[in-house]
Amino acid sequence: MELTVTGINALTSPHLHIWDWRVSLYLFLGGLSAGLAVMATVLHLRKGGALVKGEPAGYIAPILVPVILGIGMLFIFLDLERKLNVYWLYLTVNPLSPMSWGSWGLLLFFPVSGLFALATLPDDLHHWLMLEPLKKLAGRLKEYLFPLAIINFGVGIFIGIYTGVLLSSFVARPLWNSAILPVLFLTSALSVGAALMIMIARTNKVKLWFTKMDIWLIFAEMVQLPLFFYGQYTSSGAHRESIMPFFTLSHEYFFYSISMLVLFVIFPIALVMKMLEIKEEHDGNLTPLALVKMNLSAIMVLLGGLIIRLTFVYAGQLSKFT
Amino acid sequence: MPKYAMVIDQRRCVACMACVIACKNENEVPPEQYRTRVLEMVEGEFPLLRMELRSELCNHCDNPPCVYNCPTGASYKRTADGIVLLRKNRCVGCKACVAACPYDARYINHEKGFADKCTFCDHRLKEGKEPACVATCIGKSRIFGDLDDPKSPVRIALRSADSTVLLEGAGTRPRVYYIKKFSKPE
Repeated sequence: MELTVTGINALTSPHLHIWDWRVSLYLFLGGLSAGLAVMATVLHLRKGGALVKGEPAGYIAPILVPVILGIGMLFIFLDLERKLNVYWLYLTVNPLSPMSWGSWGLLLFFPVSGLFALATLPDDLHHWLMLEPLKKLAGRLKEYLFPLAIINFGVGIFIGIYTGVLLSSFVARPLWNSAILPVLFLTSALSVGAALMIMIARTNKVKLWFTKMDIWLIFAEMVQLPLFFYGQYTSSGAHRESIMPFFTLSHEYFFYSISMLVLFVIFPIALVMKMLEIKEEHDGNLTPLALVKMNLSAIMVLLGGLIIRLTFVYAGQLSKFT
Repeated sequence: MPKYAMVIDQRRCVACMACVIACKNENEVPPEQYRTRVLEMVEGEFPLLRMELRSELCNHCDNPPCVYNCPTGASYKRTADGIVLLRKNRCVGCKACVAACPYDARYINHEKGFADKCTFCDHRLKEGKEPACVATCIGKSRIFGDLDDPKSPVRIALRSADSTVLLEGAGTRPRVYYIKKFSKPE
């Protein structure tokens, strides 16, 4: 069939996208901050708080959460075409719009993660807080660490799911229009959160504990990814067509196919590396080689999370309901 | 209250593109951007060829995904007549509506930044006129009117021939109907 269109907009043309890398980075950093918030809560609550004793990640991770989230929000702000109208997001509640959920959810997540960071800051580091009222607040919030941790956990899970729901709600884009996508994005968010926790933790027990957790999360991702593609392949023609960029090694879709190949290589390697790490004896300090391996596998997981966001955001816009 | 709809009688389209030009002129659509388009689809093998001409525009859906996905309420469906419109002062240009539309009927106006689309020439309707594309259509392929009025041109056109809508499976319940030139594939 030969098709000529008079009056076509650039945006309807497949090689020009609606959303670009800024949205991909927003989804990745939003997921990372959500995953790290959940992991920071787990670190504080696990074994009645015994795991966090003597571990700087107990306060570094909660500080990083709003910082990473802020950078992510900066990217979505940069993507808005009419930035001065951004206040309308907070004058409207549209329960059917995932972007509306997100803007309100982030408005809740930001202060909650900030308060949690204050509550987890050790007394001897209160001098970091320049203002006296902040120091007093940090002191008072210690009493509410448990409820704050629970709220932080809940909001973190919500944001992790939201990053997937944002894409999956579009019937017009078959690649995104899957109920597995929010679950995959949540698992990926938790996995990259655990990976970052491994990188910033200083004690062996915490590094190994999160390594064990990340093994399960990577395993879950490795199950969900093929299930997602299987679900798409066995669905309608448009859904089947939507995943083809990932499996067609033509020059047009080379980026997607290579990304998928990288994903199917780095996740198993990271998994094997992590399994070897927990089998090794770590009586004293971790050897430099063991640290390098741990950080390398964590970087692989972070890279995998970024690849998932980049490829899914771009490839979804190539897909079309027919 | 009227229930506005459009019928595209594909049998009468001559692909003159006057609708595309009239729309751009009427609505001051920026260069290289469009609210409506005409598809020319040539199928078959020479000499057994056939061509389908299809005008496309915003379908003013009764179940509009662009409205549901708008986080600021900028996109809305006017209850009085069912036209899907945009409050430009509220639009943040997040592009959720552009991604949500299965008809690719929306675009970001690159001069002003909002998510623009066809309004059925709402400003002309207020003056009692037809949309610009309908008024200019020399083949009378574009037909506009009130679905609730049995004497309106759209009701007459829909009564006279079998019609269909685009992407019915998307569940959007469009208000742009198509009377096809070819009833079934060759």
